[in-house]
Amino acid sequence: MDLESKPESEVLEENGDAAHTAAAMRWQSSRDLFRLVFREDRFFLVLSVFIGVLSGLAVVCFRYAIDWARLYLLGTGAVLTPARLLLAPSVAGLVIAVLVIHFFPQTRGSGVNQTKAALFIYNGYIPFRTAIGKFITSALAIGSGHSLGPEDPSLQIGACLASVLGRKMRLSRDRMRLIAPVGAAAGLAAAFNAPISAVLFVIEEVIGRWTAGILGSVVLSAVSSVVVMRWFLGSESMFRIPAVELKRPSELVAYAVLGMVGGLASVIFSSGIAAFRPLCKALPKWTQYFQPAIAGLLIGVIAMLGAPQVMGAGYEYIDQAMHGQFTWEFLAMLAGLKIVATLLSFVSGTPGGMFAPTLFIGAMLGAAVGGVQHLVLPHLTGSTATYALVGMGVLFAGFLRAPMTSVFMVLEVSGNYSIIVPVIVANTVAYVISRGLQPIPIFDLLTRQDGLDLPSMEEQREEDVLRVEDAMQPVEGPVLDAGQTLEKALTEVDHTESEHLLVRMSPSGWSTLTRQQLVDMAAQGKGASNLGSLLPLRHVPYLHPDHPLEMALRYVDRWPLVPVVSRADFRKLEGVVSQRYVLERYREFGEG
Amino acid sequence: MGGECEVLSGSKDTMAAEKFFQYRLYLRQRPVMLALLSGFTLLFILGVTGLSRAYQAQREALGNRWFARGVADLNAKRFDAAVTEFRAALLYSRDDYNYQLNLAEALIGVHQTGQASAYLLNLWDREPENGQVNLELARIAAQKGQTADAVRYYHNAVYAAWPPDQETQRREARLELIQLLLRTNAKTQAQAELIALAENVGDDPAQQARIGDLFVRAADYEHALAAYRLSLKYDRHNSAALTGAGYAAFELGQYPVAESYLQMALSENPNDTQAEERLKITQMVVRMDPFRNQISSAERNRIVVDAFATAGERLSQCPVPKSANAAAAGSPPVSPANLSDQWAPLKPQVTERELRRDPDLGQTAMDLVFRIERQTSVVCGMPTGADLALLLIAKEHEGT
Repeated sequence: MDLESKPESEVLEENGDAAHTAAAMRWQSSRDLFRLVFREDRFFLVLSVFIGVLSGLAVVCFRYAIDWARLYLLGTGAVLTPARLLLAPSVAGLVIAVLVIHFFPQTRGSGVNQTKAALFIYNGYIPFRTAIGKFITSALAIGSGHSLGPEDPSLQIGACLASVLGRKMRLSRDRMRLIAPVGAAAGLAAAFNAPISAVLFVIEEVIGRWTAGILGSVVLSAVSSVVVMRWFLGSESMFRIPAVELKRPSELVAYAVLGMVGGLASVIFSSGIAAFRPLCKALPKWTQYFQPAIAGLLIGVIAMLGAPQVMGAGYEYIDQAMHGQFTWEFLAMLAGLKIVATLLSFVSGTPGGMFAPTLFIGAMLGAAVGGVQHLVLPHLTGSTATYALVGMGVLFAGFLRAPMTSVFMVLEVSGNYSIIVPVIVANTVAYVISRGLQPIPIFDLLTRQDGLDLPSMEEQREEDVLRVEDAMQPVEGPVLDAGQTLEKALTEVDHTESEHLLVRMSPSGWSTLTRQQLVDMAAQGKGASNLGSLLPLRHVPYLHPDHPLEMALRYVDRWPLVPVVSRADFRKLEGVVSQRYVLERYREFGEG
Repeated sequence: MGGECEVLSGSKDTMAAEKFFQYRLYLRQRPVMLALLSGFTLLFILGVTGLSRAYQAQREALGNRWFARGVADLNAKRFDAAVTEFRAALLYSRDDYNYQLNLAEALIGVHQTGQASAYLLNLWDREPENGQVNLELARIAAQKGQTADAVRYYHNAVYAAWPPDQETQRREARLELIQLLLRTNAKTQAQAELIALAENVGDDPAQQARIGDLFVRAADYEHALAAYRLSLKYDRHNSAALTGAGYAAFELGQYPVAESYLQMALSENPNDTQAEERLKITQMVVRMDPFRNQISSAERNRIVVDAFATAGERLSQCPVPKSANAAAAGSPPVSPANLSDQWAPLKPQVTERELRRDPDLGQTAMDLVFRIERQTSVVCGMPTGADLALLLIAKEHEGT
């Protein structure tokens, strides 16, 4: 029936129904879209952008706060008066001690381990007060000249803001656990002006594994925080990078020497922290009020004696070292004094980061080694800036034990891929030396000193993984074929004692059955039937030799035998695993 | 009635609580939370923008303050203080071009050329056409003896942008380049630069006289004489230009012209001993030249006889061995015989009477005189007085 032939009222009614249906469909589609957007995984991505923006803003404010603290505490000039050099860090140390002991106890230290603790212990919970405390105490410490950097506090501030947002948004527990690293990446990226390094560091040192679920969020937050930071502070890198180059391949020997020197310096630095931090913590509680002040006073003395460069983060001096403005003797002295100053600040419990001092020491050592090599082999040696840059990566690899981040950090900061080979050579040497002489990485060391047992990322990275091939055994007895008759199969298994039998299905797949099942089916008069037609349709899952052994655990309780097949030919049997084999292998592994 | 009121107020409380609960529930919905978060973020951005402006303004003010102090100290040549102040200024604006340039200049002032060079190279990377940066880099390279680099930077400076007084700055840069080329004995290059410079100087007499001096140092006497003449055109009493012109004319072998300029120079400045000395030689050359025009035969013969006697005396004071005789620079390999052996037989013939009889004898005698003066100057060093005059005449007539 066409529309024109209907009565008017009927037509109107039908039109009304159509409009209603269209409205309902629109409503449904908007609801679907709404649900799609606000589904937790997508909502998490949106939230990551907000975390990045807010962390970026917080880091910008943090940088302003540090600069203002420096201006008002140390003065506006390049040359500081002795009174300020001595008083500013020591008086600020007293104030910081009171704030840390009475108001913000969670702000002690660098902040990386606290973020890891939030991820692995506190389900992503970091109190907002920690961010406030970290902001105030670290700005005061760095601004007054304590030898610490702003990166690790920025990381913790970012993690804290993320945690607060996650709680307010009522994220699930799984998401809450992951949100702290997302904020940490944002904070670090903004502080470092290096999003790739920040993402890598968080994955390498905080999360410890690559998961697609979090990678997107970490990248989004890091990028948005860097955009915000550059909007306010400009896009210049922390140092002016002159032309860097590898003059000739033989110069790699010089970079290996730099790696050795850097590795040894890393060991000295981390051994100092390992030795003195527990000593300071073991002193009577009242002394904690004075420890940062005494550390500040001693740093002031070092500055007054001719090395004010050791105060604060010291980026401007890294810049000067890169531009060849110090002699190699002075550079080497600065590296040594910076280790002492940073040890003093850090072991006294003053809040602040170790990234900047690590970069400072590395740059000075690198430039010093470059300077010496300039004297010894002037025709071989590249620019001082190249050595300083590689030196930064060396200390990063040796002291912080983040080898991948160390390489990308240098590349990202320099914007030059031509030095990738020297960076890799030097960093690897430093990393190997540091690992050999100081088996426990600095972050794990600090965690253990604080009485926590957080997973060691280095151990995780290098842990032996058991694979299916480790538990795999050769097949006992014949492998039956789905195309053969039951009678033939019975004759084949006649000479074997194995109870469980594997059947190769056609065209692919595997199945199992027991000898008793074969006998029973033959008794039912099915002797002439093909084996394939008698077996259930559900096939046995199969594994490959390189699969982790954990994967076998999913199947071995339901299937007495699990075939292990070649990746090139799924019908080719490499072996079998059973629950007994798997458990035996784990027991042997556990016994070492 | 009272009970009813209580019931009413109780139900009102319940409704209010319910409303509050619903309100809280509504606020906790994710879209609402996200909207609130957006608002908060926007407010935060606005706040940080305000903070950022205050921060930047403060830094700019501090930077300018330290820079102004640095400039004052730099102008007063208090380089140490200037370095500290420019460094302080750079704390607030690390990449400021002017701050870095001034710091580099102050560092040069305290002889920290390594650091200065680092800053200047950085500035050069940013603005390779900046005249001041190129000039400073050229000076540093020249100090370090890196002549090729210095010349390259000087050339850049000559053709660079130089606001506001472009021409003067370029000229000064070229002058410095010429000084460097002269110091390194690159006279040909220096001459080329001087010719270009002379074109740019115009008619300024002082500048032309200065260019004349430089041409003299570059051994380009023709251009030097032209420059001095140009200078004298506007200032005829400039004694330095007169002396320079006399010297240039002398070197060109234009002895009468030299004599005239040197006489004028001495009349302007009678204390100029160098000009006086040069004039004496010039006058001797003019007086002792037998080949000059407008003299009588008798006069010419007398000059030849005197010259022959002078050469003989020189030969007796400075005997020339046979080997030196053959190897003497510029001497034609005419005879292997000793100069004394040639001079002695000719001596009785070289008289005014014989010269009158045989006009070719004069030429022969003077050839021997010239050979004697040339070869004795090689063996015994440059002569003085009449011997020097004869040597110069020899050079003039036989070529160097």
